[in-house]
Amino acid sequence: MYVCHCGGNISDYVDVNRVVEAVREEPGVVVAREAMFTCSDASQQEIIRDIKEQELDGLVVASCSPRLHLHTFRDVAKRAGLNPYQYTQVNIREQCSWAHTGDREGATAKAIRLVRAGIARTRLTEPLQPLKIDTVPAVLVVGAGIAGLRAAIGLADTGISVYVVEREAAPGGRVARLGRMYPHGKRGRELINQLVEEVQKRENITLFTGAGLVEKSGSIGNFQVRIRVREPVESEIGVQVGAIIVATGFDLYQPREGEYGFGLEGVITLDDFLELLDAPGAGLNFRGREVKDVVYVYCVGSRQGAGGEGANRYCSRYCCNAAVHAASLAFDKSPGVRQYHLFRDMRTYGRFELFYQEALRRGAVFLKFDESEPPRVERGEGGKLKVTVKDLLTCGEEFELQADLVVLVTGMVPRENGKLVDILKLPVGRDGFFNEIHPKLRPVETVVDGLFICGTCQGPKNSSESVASALAAVTQSASILKKGYVELEPLVAAVDPRRCNWCGECAGTCPYSAIEREHYQDREVARVNEAVCKGCGGCVPSCSRGALNLKGYSDEQIRAMIDALAKEIC
Amino acid sequence: MPRMDPLFAEEVNSFGRFDARACLNCGVCSAVCPMGIELLPRKLFRYVLLGVKDRVLENVQAVYSCLLCRLCEVNCPAQVRVAENVRFLRYYLNKKVFQI
Repeated sequence: MYVCHCGGNISDYVDVNRVVEAVREEPGVVVAREAMFTCSDASQQEIIRDIKEQELDGLVVASCSPRLHLHTFRDVAKRAGLNPYQYTQVNIREQCSWAHTGDREGATAKAIRLVRAGIARTRLTEPLQPLKIDTVPAVLVVGAGIAGLRAAIGLADTGISVYVVEREAAPGGRVARLGRMYPHGKRGRELINQLVEEVQKRENITLFTGAGLVEKSGSIGNFQVRIRVREPVESEIGVQVGAIIVATGFDLYQPREGEYGFGLEGVITLDDFLELLDAPGAGLNFRGREVKDVVYVYCVGSRQGAGGEGANRYCSRYCCNAAVHAASLAFDKSPGVRQYHLFRDMRTYGRFELFYQEALRRGAVFLKFDESEPPRVERGEGGKLKVTVKDLLTCGEEFELQADLVVLVTGMVPRENGKLVDILKLPVGRDGFFNEIHPKLRPVETVVDGLFICGTCQGPKNSSESVASALAAVTQSASILKKGYVELEPLVAAVDPRRCNWCGECAGTCPYSAIEREHYQDREVARVNEAVCKGCGGCVPSCSRGALNLKGYSDEQIRAMIDALAKEIC
Repeated sequence: MPRMDPLFAEEVNSFGRFDARACLNCGVCSAVCPMGIELLPRKLFRYVLLGVKDRVLENVQAVYSCLLCRLCEVNCPAQVRVAENVRFLRYYLNKKVFQI
């Protein structure tokens, strides 16, 4: 049992020495020490030496959150020849010293109880082995847009078989419809043509267009998927894959009738405007009329206030860049065009600032409006549109300008994919996009093992960011499949078939659909699919016959921990 | 309500001597102005940039009050050539408004 000072992070508010002395005589404790930094190499060596010399069969470290160092100390146990699952980490930093900076006495008392509980749990641990699951070297990619296609090529080049399922009749998604794009200036459809050509060159990629998912079963390493295809005849195809990558893309925000004059002649979305810019020939024309004045309104359908029902609170990220890039495309096509950008905040992050600078240098004018007083678009004189805007950059003065075109710079919204969400059990975030585990640390993994997301189905991105995330999904899935097996946490639920008589109650509580029915000595009992179980323990209290237990957190262990926590009062 | 007149903006631009596009609206120029001219230069330049001709003509007094001391210019983080711009505005007003 080791108690960490964490420099002073813990010992400034918890009397570490008193904690050590208080638990020294607890049943099972052989070694009780403190350390300045338990995670340091020297302290790790000391722990290993103690375990070996004293032939210890359990380890407790009271330090920081297990999120930070659980694996560090499991590894220490392993190196000392101790089963890593006989280690318990007690969090006395986030849960004691940092939480009770004004109460040293209370924090110390709490730390003592938590450490006692950790010791009680550890005494009852059993050695466990990680679950080892063999993997099928094939991947299913859902969606053949720029992210899905790039992921397929990346995987195929590592020698993995790929099945790509696309709902539309042709691959390419939204990018296939675009002309010159930022930041590279290449045409969207040419990029897609190149990718499709590369896909066709690879024999280990099978592309199903006009197809959809019908059913998925199995778990990481071995999913069984049924795909419905329409061509050449309507039929269902079954495939076996080790991982699934979802790259189903986004929808564009569709402005409401009357939103910034939407519905009036000449009020169009950025998407429509890009199509005008991509039309052959010089000059900028809309419905046969020359366009001299263009007004852009930014943040349409993005960063909406908290008040609205189902408001899109998020920033769509791509649109500021796309709009200032469109400004340069418009100057290329019609050098005399006058452009007014009505923005809320100019979020041309990173190098995209250069597009803003270019638009500014070439004569685009930028006005900043406040969310609470958005510009108004009305029908004006002589077939023009009248735009009224309060410009914060001129101390909030209101101006009126005339426009031939008003371009609504619309954001991205999540795509309607209800059926796919059901089939794959995709986690959907509050904003309607699919959720990763952590946006920075685990950006393409989901809570479902073996199920990855990439591109704009997880949130707004530009095309190069989509491709980067597609390649991240390639790396993540290939690293599982190339090894041939995966190792999973053995801290999962287990059924005692002698007690179970299958009432089905537990299966209903499982958020991961990990509990199935099976035959056991002519009876029906519950079985936990260990590869799918996350060890949340939600099923355990639902069993009226006490047939379920969570490995590493058995009822016996929990009871012992409660007794240890409440030692003074009972 | 003042209108943005693109022709005015284009006319000013055609001389190639007025350039305040780099202005960040930080307000340092107003803060350091020894004449305490609140309008100068960021607000006035903004009117010119947006082509709000009415507002420029209403504020002729301010254009001629400037000492051209360039205290604002040396403090400008965006390197806007304030004095040069004011000089141009005087030239423009002399020519177009006062016909001299």
